[in-house]
Amino acid sequence: MLLRAENLVKHFPAGAGFFAGATGKVHAVDDVSFDIAAGETLALVGESGCGKSTVGRLALRLLEPTSGRVLLDGEDLQSLDAAALRQRRRTMQIIFQDPYGSLNPRMTVGQMLGEALRLHGLWPGKEPARIAALLRQVGLGEEHASRYPHEFSGGQRQRIGIARALAVEPKLVVCDEPVSALDVSIQAQVINLLQDLQGELGLAYLFIAHDLAVVRHIASRVAVMYLGKIVELATASELFERPRHPYTQALLSAIPVPEPGPRRSRALLQGDVPSPLAPPSGCRFRTRCPYARDLCSSKPPILEGGVACHFWREIAPPAPPAQRLMAVNERLTRLQAAFDS
Amino acid sequence: MKLLEVRNLRVHFALEGAAAELRAVDGVSLSLEAGHTLGVVGESGCGKSVTALAIMGLVPQPPGRIAGGEILFDGEDLLRQRPERLRELRGDRMAMIFQEPMSSLNPAFTVGEQIAEMILEHRKITKKDAKALAIEMLRQVRMPSPEKRYDDYPHRLSGGMRQRAMIAMALACRPKLLICDEPTTALDVTIQAQILELLRALREETGTAIILITHDLGVVAELADEVAVMYAGRIVERAPAARLFAEPQHPYTIGLLGSIPRLDRRRARLAAIQGQVPGSALRLDGCRFRARCPFAIERCHEDPLLMKLEEKHQAACWRAPL
Repeated sequence: MLLRAENLVKHFPAGAGFFAGATGKVHAVDDVSFDIAAGETLALVGESGCGKSTVGRLALRLLEPTSGRVLLDGEDLQSLDAAALRQRRRTMQIIFQDPYGSLNPRMTVGQMLGEALRLHGLWPGKEPARIAALLRQVGLGEEHASRYPHEFSGGQRQRIGIARALAVEPKLVVCDEPVSALDVSIQAQVINLLQDLQGELGLAYLFIAHDLAVVRHIASRVAVMYLGKIVELATASELFERPRHPYTQALLSAIPVPEPGPRRSRALLQGDVPSPLAPPSGCRFRTRCPYARDLCSSKPPILEGGVACHFWREIAPPAPPAQRLMAVNERLTRLQAAFDS
Repeated sequence: MKLLEVRNLRVHFALEGAAAELRAVDGVSLSLEAGHTLGVVGESGCGKSVTALAIMGLVPQPPGRIAGGEILFDGEDLLRQRPERLRELRGDRMAMIFQEPMSSLNPAFTVGEQIAEMILEHRKITKKDAKALAIEMLRQVRMPSPEKRYDDYPHRLSGGMRQRAMIAMALACRPKLLICDEPTTALDVTIQAQILELLRALREETGTAIILITHDLGVVAELADEVAVMYAGRIVERAPAARLFAEPQHPYTIGLLGSIPRLDRRRARLAAIQGQVPGSALRLDGCRFRARCPFAIERCHEDPLLMKLEEKHQAACWRAPL
């Protein structure tokens, strides 16, 4: 296993003002475990505040967990000293939603990539050739090496972020909402690029996103998070065709389908997500769950067989997707193929 | 009778340090019948929001200026009205909601006070009646315990509840036209579903016509009767919603539909449109999409006009029907 996260817990102190001490703690991540094999894509999905980005930072040890551990190639990251950690970091890189915020505005793209290479002693004496190759690999040109971040569009900046991550030849890239700030047509370019790179380089992705359609397109397995916990973890086809947890079912039915016509009947969730300062007892989803019973408030369900729900066996699965599937429009498919040549 | 008719609207913006203006909206025509919903889709900078602001009389001038066109609303040409008249209309016969309700709600007043204030501005009724009406509006947007929420300040509400409060304020005077600019873009998907459901129900209850501005084709498919697709300041295609999704004719619409990943079918690759939207300086003469278009021909150097392909279906493309 390339990466294994075991029982990760992260609490942040809350209400810590200038005059007041901490008055509580935010249960950002609570007992999260998963693993990622080389070359695969595990997606972490969920709505704002579910803890998915925190998990990404814990996996890279950019944040220290309150408890739990992360194993990289079987080695516990917490046990490493700073020098050893820096060396291991080569294996794991991250790209962010807003690449502009993570690029140094006063360095050219070439300087940025060169710095990453030098830091790890890669390609000594051959840096310019390597930088040119990296830029080509992400769909930019050699001439872009001498430009500054502000000279690029949003989509190109994301390509630079990807080039910088790839510079040190990682095995795993944490992609934190990599396309959510981009326009639809640019988003598709970046998604295609990430898929191509995975095929060429055998990269594994921890793909953090709120857009389930993007996740369905790119992920091999999916973990759904709600208020700091994984509520369902399954292969992408299982999860999208037979969602078992009531939250996954509600999430999927909430997504608008770009096809007008009679609206599907929806399991609309009522209300908002409760505060992670005081998560509900028992099952954290119970306050919005249409199937909640007494047991759900007293006993937290554990993730077993990929689903954390006491009653998932009794919950009717939603209509099979075959019935929702619209006929494939052959004319449109043919015309759209012209864009990819 | 058309409720709204926009003819050849042009909105230009002065650019810092440049002689040429940005033609943000460059000859847009559209119309809307009472009670109907028009979706306007396009990517950042295509001019969809500026078109909406122009209809509301809210284009910041300067740097913006209305360079031409007509906006006929309920028989009045809005571009020839005095500012006071537009203020009378706004909030009364037409209203607008935005992506981020916090930017249009005043943090210093409770949401109830702001709705009541809006009603008092347009109706000669007592404060007590205005309050009762405001609470009634909060109830109508399905706000739980509306009497209590009346006294809440905006920051006390969640994003979804704030958007409900915004909709309550917008609909308080029963406008004939409601413009929704990315109304659910800042919301999580389960909350987005609630708001879309609410807009659909309110449209039935009030008969308000809606212009829905969004980048999300899924949201358009949920609500719109008709759709206009914008690219680089122009409408490139318009059609009834069902037809636009089933038989799009403009290459940009075709590419856009191919760019979105779908939940109900898996494709090996997305049909990404190459390149990027041309910046103001790089806008081409002729068809502005031609540099990214796999179907472009020599003739695309000439400006294509919106051409009628079918009843109610128009596309601005020399190659249409494809």
